[in-house]
Amino acid sequence: MRQVINILGISIIALVFSAGFANAQCAADAQANACISKLQDGFTFLKTFKVDGQGGAKAKVEYSYVFSKDTQYFLNVCSEGTGTDGIVVTMYDSKRQMVSTNFNNGKFYPGLVYPCNATGIYYITFTFQDSQHHCGGSVLGFKR
Amino acid sequence: MRKISSLFLVLIVFACGPGKQSEEQAFLDSLDNLTLDAPMISEEVIADIIQQVPSPLEISYLLKDAGTQYDFNILNGPSNVSNYNSNFDKALNLGIYGTDLGYANIYEENQDALLYLNSIKGLANDLSIGQFFDFGTIARLATNSKNLDSLLLITTQNFNDINSYLQGNQRSNLSVLILTGGWLEALHITCQVAEKNPNNEKLIEKIGEQKIILDNIKLMLEFYTADPNIADLHKRILELEKAFAEIEIIYTYAEPTMEEVNGILVVKDNSTTTINITKENVGAIRQEVINIRETIIS
Repeated sequence: MRQVINILGISIIALVFSAGFANAQCAADAQANACISKLQDGFTFLKTFKVDGQGGAKAKVEYSYVFSKDTQYFLNVCSEGTGTDGIVVTMYDSKRQMVSTNFNNGKFYPGLVYPCNATGIYYITFTFQDSQHHCGGSVLGFKR
Repeated sequence: MRKISSLFLVLIVFACGPGKQSEEQAFLDSLDNLTLDAPMISEEVIADIIQQVPSPLEISYLLKDAGTQYDFNILNGPSNVSNYNSNFDKALNLGIYGTDLGYANIYEENQDALLYLNSIKGLANDLSIGQFFDFGTIARLATNSKNLDSLLLITTQNFNDINSYLQGNQRSNLSVLILTGGWLEALHITCQVAEKNPNNEKLIEKIGEQKIILDNIKLMLEFYTADPNIADLHKRILELEKAFAEIEIIYTYAEPTMEEVNGILVVKDNSTTTINITKENVGAIRQEVINIRETIIS
């Protein structure tokens, strides 16, 4: 009987712990999927990117993709908070030279259109500026 | 001590949800023909390389925009699906059929798309990843050309989900094979269409640009050369690399400019690439792709 009570007690503790942990986690997958509907008209969906700054512990989340010349790309940013919640997306070429960003003249933009003129590997880097949640998602689309 | 044992018991019960074990076992059983040796580098690094590979849909759109005709005869016949017995062949041809499906969809060749969908269903089920394809919805969308956007969205999402699942389950080797098949088929279609449209510079340039992706494909396969099938495929890719050797991609960086248009930031990319490729190079690549593809689809 005592053993059963022990198991039940520990089960309840484990449940409470797991629920609390889940709440603290960033649902970046859900954020990224929710971002798909915000893809600009005329663009074909390519990829979602999860942006999980682990509550501020991670300063940068980075992905890479081969962009093609004569193709327009659309990259948007969705967040758990209002607007982009300080999530900055910056694209760099393979030599780490900046080619675009959604943070321009002190303003955060929810999306950017990048008409690629040079085929190559590009880095898509997400950083956080005064972000509340450090959590979001992004979607990449293309059109010719 | 008794309390600690109980805690372990609880954690084990939590970790092994109902049905999870049998699902995983079924998946592992499906990998009978693939070596399970882990590569020397982390799954995270492999995932980074995998995600760089562009969608074959981009090439299909280029072909349509260039005004070239849809050609079913250059694709892998859907009925060939019965030839593929090993998981190695199934994964590669799943990628090939994925590209063929996208090509047929973009040209709104609905009947062909349904045939490819059926072949994909068989291969995906055999590889225990059929649950990621919403075949009913895809088939319904494929019957009406007005649904093209939704159709492309759902099929791309399904393939992305498969890649995430395989990578999350330390089975990136299958993901690498699917991507390799998909890329090779896109290159094959471009080479075949370019042969019929020899003056289309955009197509020739697109073939030359594939040198960048080829580097990724080669690198990804390199991680799994402990598997004799993948080692053989890797060797063939090295032959293809020779055909690409003379091609030059010259990149010139210039700072971008940006402007706001209807609340969206529009970038003006001032950088350029120049692709130096000859018709002889294209011919050599086309032949090498035919050679590799023949061993995969037959």
